[in-house]
Amino acid sequence: MSVIAPKFKLSEFIKSLLDNVFWVILLMVLIGIPAVMMVLFVIEMPVINGELLTPFLALTWLADPSRVLPIVQAFMTTDIFRVMAFPGFGFAALLAAGTIFVERKMLAKLQLRVGPFYCGKIEGILQLMGDGLKLISKEIIIPAKADKPIFWAAPVIFVAAAAAFVAFIPVAPGWVVADVDLGLLGVFAVIGFFPIITILSAWSANSKFPFIGGIRALFQMVSFEIPLILSLLGVVILTGTLNLSEIAASQSSFPWIIFLPIGAIVFFITMLAELERIPFDLPEAESEIVAGWLTELSGMMYGLVQLGTYLKLYAFAALFVVLFLGGWNGPMIVPPFPAEILTDGIVMGPITAKIPGLPLFTQEMLNGTLWFVLKTVGVIFFILLPRGVFPRIRIDLLLSLGWTKLIGLAFVNIFIALGLLYAGVLGPGGLQ
Amino acid sequence: MADAAFLALTVITIGSAIAALELRSLIYGSIALMGTLGGIAGFFLLLDAPFVALFQLAVYVGSIAVLILFTVMLVKRELIFKKIEDKRRKFAGIGLMLIVMVALGAVFIDSGIKTITTDEPAVDFRDIGTDFVTYYWPALILMALILAGSVTGALVLAKREDVENDQRTS
Repeated sequence: MSVIAPKFKLSEFIKSLLDNVFWVILLMVLIGIPAVMMVLFVIEMPVINGELLTPFLALTWLADPSRVLPIVQAFMTTDIFRVMAFPGFGFAALLAAGTIFVERKMLAKLQLRVGPFYCGKIEGILQLMGDGLKLISKEIIIPAKADKPIFWAAPVIFVAAAAAFVAFIPVAPGWVVADVDLGLLGVFAVIGFFPIITILSAWSANSKFPFIGGIRALFQMVSFEIPLILSLLGVVILTGTLNLSEIAASQSSFPWIIFLPIGAIVFFITMLAELERIPFDLPEAESEIVAGWLTELSGMMYGLVQLGTYLKLYAFAALFVVLFLGGWNGPMIVPPFPAEILTDGIVMGPITAKIPGLPLFTQEMLNGTLWFVLKTVGVIFFILLPRGVFPRIRIDLLLSLGWTKLIGLAFVNIFIALGLLYAGVLGPGGLQ
Repeated sequence: MADAAFLALTVITIGSAIAALELRSLIYGSIALMGTLGGIAGFFLLLDAPFVALFQLAVYVGSIAVLILFTVMLVKRELIFKKIEDKRRKFAGIGLMLIVMVALGAVFIDSGIKTITTDEPAVDFRDIGTDFVTYYWPALILMALILAGSVTGALVLAKREDVENDQRTS
């Protein structure tokens, strides 16, 4: 007879469970709670219901549900929440994960395949989770002659640079991680880091295919950075500011794509090239050089690079939305928060529940986020679409496209912007 | 706070500059050079000139360091360097550096830098632009001409003569 545990005894099982409970309680009392208290004494606590939330009161939300929402609200105003969750990393990673799934499924439909199908029963919606588990559990193999410090650091720095890019994007009025005066210049500085990381990662693997892919990536990114920067100058000339929030707010009546369509087209093409997407996917051309500069990366290192790539995709699409499509601006379609809940509470028959701390989000913020996400998803859709249609471009055609045609068009765009400005039609002294 | 940041930036900048000169691996040397250039960007940030700092990052770290890396990766080190190294050269180099630093320091201290006020607000980049097209326009024209000349020169140098016309792309 084969059983999983031949010497199983119920009494010993219960004893082992109780042992574990004992140790958990002991360690929590001796180490956990003092550590939490020490942390709580250091950080600045909010004022909840008219009294300061001291560390002694910090865990009372477990017993008093009326404290939960004010504490959540106070947490949402902190920098940690902004960086980790809403306009920052978590929000972007969620959209990026959605992008990966939609890309696989949509590409399959375009090519008359089914795509992810079995994982999760309904149209393979759990495929992403399965892929993530697979990547985490796979062994990380380092090539024997690789330059180990750079090889280990490159994927992490790649994700960090992509997250820094995400931090500049304003999602709704006032909801941005880093609201700096020179936001657009900061974006240019961060974009400049990607070729360095790529070429260092490619070189450190000490292998043919990554090195060829890395050199292609370097050529492509450096030559398309110049039209990228030039194509955005038209917007800067017309708004007179480099702050991304102010640029988005300046488009309350019309988006800049109406007046600067050439700049928008040039920016979209350079965006495809910077993201290494088809038709500009020479650095990862899988039918020529295995996987390009990603060839030697394995396990979660590959997963990190993929995460960074899709964060970058989200950030570029969001930048397009902020600069050309009006950012969060749009008609107010979110209904206002019902006022009687604020004054009377929720009435359910004989029970009346008064909930302090509502509303969690303002109407402007929800509306802005809705429009921003809708526009961003639309732009991401148009970034994904060429993958089902176009073949790969040749590298000399790519370079001549970048250095001659796109730079020329970007200058045409700048002259259009200057013409509008000096004619007094638009810009800081014009209609605005 | 600013003092701690200043000290940290100084250590990073000078340390990575020394590392850039002394490291045997050229790749690590150029990474250290990136550290130096980034440290200088940090100094500009401390001096309330974020515009210059971000351009320092975008141009020097983002482009020039990439070109240096690229050159280093494609060139065999043994072919371009002949190792001539002895004690006398080393000490002469250190002495020369000290003399230059003392001279530059004397010039800086003598130039009235101690009497400037340091609590001015940061200069707006719009003012820089306005100054460039009004008072300093000859400098702007000169820079534009130099840039145009160098771009034209680079294009002339890059034009290959050995490629047949039918091999060119349209």
